Amino acid sequence: MIQDYLERLARELSFDRSLSRCVRQEVEDHLWEAVAADSTGDALAAQQRAIANFGDVRAIAAQFAVLSFARHSRRAGVAAVLVIAGVFIAMKARIAWYAAAQWGISDDMRAVSGFVVQIDRYAFWLSLIVGLGGCVYIVSRQIPATFHPAYRRQLRRFFLLCSVAAAALVVSVISDGVLAALLLRGTDLSAGVLVPIVSMAIEIACVGILVVHIRGITLRVASTAALLNA
Amino acid sequence: MLKGHLDMIVLAALSAAGPAHGYAIIEEIKRRSGGAFDLPEGTIYPALHRLEQAGLLKSSWMTADSGRRRRVYTLTRNGNRALVERRAVWKQFSDAIGGLLGGAGPRENPA
Repeated sequence: MIQDYLERLARELSFDRSLSRCVRQEVEDHLWEAVAADSTGDALAAQQRAIANFGDVRAIAAQFAVLSFARHSRRAGVAAVLVIAGVFIAMKARIAWYAAAQWGISDDMRAVSGFVVQIDRYAFWLSLIVGLGGCVYIVSRQIPATFHPAYRRQLRRFFLLCSVAAAALVVSVISDGVLAALLLRGTDLSAGVLVPIVSMAIEIACVGILVVHIRGITLRVASTAALLNA
Repeated sequence: MLKGHLDMIVLAALSAAGPAHGYAIIEEIKRRSGGAFDLPEGTIYPALHRLEQAGLLKSSWMTADSGRRRRVYTLTRNGNRALVERRAVWKQFSDAIGGLLGGAGPRENPA
């Protein structure tokens, strides 16, 4: 009977596997201890009582869902800052390589590259400022016991900040890609070409990580809402 | 009403019991409240996890005598501080309500 209850609880918490595993072990210990403390001598009735006293699986899972969601949002905020820092390092490494290899943009493309550099710069700084703001905002919020409207508003603001930071970062990475392409346009194929290509791959991977985190937030909103509305 | 004070209740129980696992915390709450706080036991665990995320508790896994894995919670320094603050707020609130319900005259504002 206790195993069935634990299975149901683990299933309801399947949106967060590590949380599900950890809660299952904790609750299992609790329920068996409650059974051991029961003095009636009827093992089956003791299990029933322990489960009844513990409460409804969905209600407990809903409370954990809020917690898991808050933790995931905080992680996404920190990830946004790390990802932006990763893009910055890759960008700076590539520029240092261009300088060391004495690569430059051809004169006929200088006007275009100047325009793209401006877009790149503003987009990157926008993503950094908004991403940092989003991280500080969500980390400084108190984790609530319930998914109350004020917390939903806070999450909406955070989601908006994250989305703006990600969009600006995408623009910045695309600009970087355009600049790298302009530089590589007249260059002969050599091992040195790999440096800008690899650094661009790192930037694209960083943006991908951020997008995955933002998608994770939207998926968790759906699973949390489903649990709360059930 | 109990829900709104659950964090304070859990912190106070842990402060009294010392390092303890969920079941022992619930038993401590029941014992110290004379059985008045008979909340669904499952609601304690999300509160424990939340308090740990807030840095007010820390936890570690150990193996119980039964051989089962057990998570034991301990109050952190921040948790102790939070409990002192909440006790002060509660006392102020309780004194104010006591003054109102007891029918005493208006209390002098210490400020």
